[in-house]
Amino acid sequence: MTDFDRDAANAKRRKLLQAGLGAAAIGAVPGATQIVRAQGGFDWKKFKGEKIEIFLVKSPRGDLLTKYHKEFEDLTGITVGSEMIPEQQQRQKAVIEFNSGSPSFDVIALSYHVQKRQFAKNNWLTDLRPMIGDKSLAAPDLDFGDFAQGGLNYAVESDGRVMSLPFNLDPWVVYYNKEIFDAKGVAFPKTFAEMIDAAAKLNDTSKGISGFVGRGLKNANVPVWSSFLLGYGGGFVDAKGRLTTDTPEAIEAGKMYQTLLGKYGPQGVAGFNWNEAQSLFLQGKAAMWLDGIGFAQPLEDPNKSRIVGKVGYGVMPAGPKRQVSALFGDGEGISTYSKKKGPAWFYLQWASNKANQTRMLQAAAGAPVRNSAYAAAQSSADFKAPKQWVECMLASAKIAQPGLPVIVPVTEFRDTFGVALTNMINGADPAGELKKATAEFQPVLDKSEKA
Amino acid sequence: MPPGSNNPVALGRNSAAVAAPRPPSAFFARRRRNYRRFIIPAVVVVGAVIVFPWMFTVWMSAFDWKIGSVAHFVGFDNYVGLATNQRFLESIGHTFYFTLLAVVLPLVLGTIAALIFHREFPMRGVLRAVFTMPMMATPVAVALVWTMMFHPQQGVLNYLLSLVGLPPSLWVYSPTLVIPSLVMVEIWHWTPLVMLIVLGGLAALPIEPYESARLDGATEWQLFRYITLPLIAPFLVVAAVIRTIDAVKAFDTIYVISQGGPGTASETINLYLYLQAFAFYNVGNASAVVVVFFAIILALALLLLHVRQRTRWVAM
Amino acid sequence: MERPGASRQSTRARARRIARRTGFWFSVAVIVSPAILVFLWMLSLSLKNEIDNLAYPPVFIPDPPTLKNYVQVFTENAMGLYFWNSVVVSGCATLIALAVGVPAGYGIARLQAHRFTVLILIARMTPALSYLIPLFTVFQFLGLNNTLTALVITHLVITVPIVVYVMAGYFETLPKELEEAALIDGGSAWTLFRYVALPLARPGIVVGTILAFIFSWNNFVFGAVLAGRATRTLPAAVYNVLTFEQLAWGPLAAAAIVVTLPVLLLTVVIQKEIVAGLTAGGVKA
Repeated sequence: MTDFDRDAANAKRRKLLQAGLGAAAIGAVPGATQIVRAQGGFDWKKFKGEKIEIFLVKSPRGDLLTKYHKEFEDLTGITVGSEMIPEQQQRQKAVIEFNSGSPSFDVIALSYHVQKRQFAKNNWLTDLRPMIGDKSLAAPDLDFGDFAQGGLNYAVESDGRVMSLPFNLDPWVVYYNKEIFDAKGVAFPKTFAEMIDAAAKLNDTSKGISGFVGRGLKNANVPVWSSFLLGYGGGFVDAKGRLTTDTPEAIEAGKMYQTLLGKYGPQGVAGFNWNEAQSLFLQGKAAMWLDGIGFAQPLEDPNKSRIVGKVGYGVMPAGPKRQVSALFGDGEGISTYSKKKGPAWFYLQWASNKANQTRMLQAAAGAPVRNSAYAAAQSSADFKAPKQWVECMLASAKIAQPGLPVIVPVTEFRDTFGVALTNMINGADPAGELKKATAEFQPVLDKSEKA
Repeated sequence: MPPGSNNPVALGRNSAAVAAPRPPSAFFARRRRNYRRFIIPAVVVVGAVIVFPWMFTVWMSAFDWKIGSVAHFVGFDNYVGLATNQRFLESIGHTFYFTLLAVVLPLVLGTIAALIFHREFPMRGVLRAVFTMPMMATPVAVALVWTMMFHPQQGVLNYLLSLVGLPPSLWVYSPTLVIPSLVMVEIWHWTPLVMLIVLGGLAALPIEPYESARLDGATEWQLFRYITLPLIAPFLVVAAVIRTIDAVKAFDTIYVISQGGPGTASETINLYLYLQAFAFYNVGNASAVVVVFFAIILALALLLLHVRQRTRWVAM
Repeated sequence: MERPGASRQSTRARARRIARRTGFWFSVAVIVSPAILVFLWMLSLSLKNEIDNLAYPPVFIPDPPTLKNYVQVFTENAMGLYFWNSVVVSGCATLIALAVGVPAGYGIARLQAHRFTVLILIARMTPALSYLIPLFTVFQFLGLNNTLTALVITHLVITVPIVVYVMAGYFETLPKELEEAALIDGGSAWTLFRYVALPLARPGIVVGTILAFIFSWNNFVFGAVLAGRATRTLPAAVYNVLTFEQLAWGPLAAAAIVVTLPVLLLTVVIQKEIVAGLTAGGVKA
């Protein structure tokens, strides 16, 4: 895992640069390299009879946790009330609730790529360090050292606070339809140029096959563009806080986005979110689909997919400057206003424990953050995810970098640039749109950093 | 009352009311005081739930406040910002475009429907009940169904197009077609309301003018154009006012089906307001949008009411 | 008049009549069919299983029809709870509106205080979202967030104007002779209202109640922003069923029908009264 660690550490350093701070503070996490052993005093049933509220996002991960909530209840005697709502609404509600000073939940699932900075800046989550260090509250298999560096990068703030436990990583990959590729004798692309070429060759409107499908819906579509941006060697924000989203690299990425989705994408792609893209791919109507690796599960489900057994899992092709897989991640944190921090901490430990991580891998619901999950899953008889999926995931994790800037107004960033990208699909000039969006967003970014 | 006359009809009094002997004025005054008591509870509720938010909004619009940070007083800056904000100005354009279509088309179709339902025919009651159902259906639920119908690959609308040999359309996924597609949903939803209002007007029409015109040999079209239309004009204006106000404020349908997209092609003022207030939490800016928005609605309503004044026929 | 070729005339006249009749029925069909077809399509979607829903060309008659979608909607999404929430919120908001609005309508009609009606009109013209921000801030301050109480108060914004509007228009049409006769007999304003005007106004009250209830039930924005998990109303809950299930059209259509069916039933049952109420109120505007 050393390559992974190194690159992830690089990513961390870059993030810190952007945040304007100096040394990484990973070493400040207590017990990071030790295994916390249970000493007399830890008891899963310690908070028996309590009730906690969990606020989840409707996603494969949320589904997974909800499915096994009963196991947690039986283990600890803590009753769990939970709610899963769609991503955008969950993020909006989180802000409203935290702002009210008395949110209705104790534990919240957060998307690091959108909410991490916002939550940290507003101190909405509890610092977990005291609880991690408290042996009587730490589960015997907490094994903090088992967490992959990428996950820790997300969970730990630049000043050393541990605001959440990481839950999963979601590097972006290219799903491809092997049957369509083989029919025309095209090999899976290794570079951006080959990718565009393949899309052109495999695009067949007479048969209703699109060479490429991805998110076109504003806000959701930004990761597609950032996948290209990172490959061209570009970034989002420089060390001085100026946006670098109108640089030549960004414009090239915009042109690639325009070509792949506008020219070789399906009709109506401007309104596609991940689920529409997934549906199209499931029916065998697209040659390639760029999205997070955690959406793989239905692809191999005969009840839902027409392409079972024909799905290829490809690592993101290399751009002219770098080969990068855009990385996103989720975790769970405890609300700072919660009055049930103890039971909530138990939930966090259970949610990110080895069993659940293994289940996530088996269900292809996401990339686990625990290193041990991979070995455990592969040796298990229940293992359903195809071998190529696991290989793809490991390879992608090695070249993963954050796919969104670590700033407070991420939603606004995604909205502003998302609009520009959707306009590009409909023919607008990438350079003009990106310059306009950059000019529009820079003041927002400046204001957010000052406040 | 001849149409267009400026005879100021006493407000509220039924023209068929028999004049009663007037009691002395002191009696009147006491009665007025008593009636005021009836209104007070409503005034309290309206004050708390409607007037207070209004004052709060106007006050907030002078601040720059994002939820989660401190509010700074900025005076008119928000308004100045809006006047130069391209996205906001475009949303005004989208709103007008949407409203124009969503008012004129239901007016025309609703009038036609009213003319049809004015006649006696078997099963009229049942069919009219069916026709009014869209108006009452929950907008969110209906919008979800329309979203499925608009789907470019799996939707039933493109299937119907293919049946008549037309190529599939992008509907709400095309920046140029999105507003007309949304208007289509609005038409489906609200034409019944227009029909009902105009029907009420048709029901009150006198018969004599028609009889004498027919004797003179007028055609159906002439009957409609010169007798019916002027007489139902007030009702058309009422329908136009109600439709304009509702169309300018339309939210549920647009939000569910296109979220203001693709890009910002169908982002009306109301959608922009939602974005500012509940996605970006720019409460100060959002309040300024509300004030501007309301000014626009008010201007439109006053314009239409002015038109109405000049065609008033029924005692207000 | 008898003319040569009269029989040819009358055949032509009859043909014209038939053509006009067919044209008429054709127009009726064209006008009414969009309304009914969308609802039928909604029903069809909800009764189809997943394979049929993904099929293209679309399947119109489900084969075989299944109630699985409805079961899924109720078990996976606590629709029963949301249904109840909607009933409580809309019911309470309507009752309060009646208690406050019927007398107010009477007072306005008798006082001819049209300035108050203008206020109501302004309330109608204001976008719903603009009430949300201030009300939300206040509720936060009072600790009422995520409660049904907050929702009921917010829904008053919808119900009170409707009731006042309809009742004011209605009371104005009531002939004044009865009241004036009772006045001379020595009644106070209250007895006039309670014993003379109110019984006569029952049809108007029915209309006002139903319209207020329907529009409150249909409201989406307030529930979506202000409600919490346990207090969400039906339209807001339905919206959450969308997004993030790949083409789960069956359960979505089933949820949509569950949300809108009560309102549609109400409409059909009291259709005539609604028509009267809308037109009376509308014309008087």
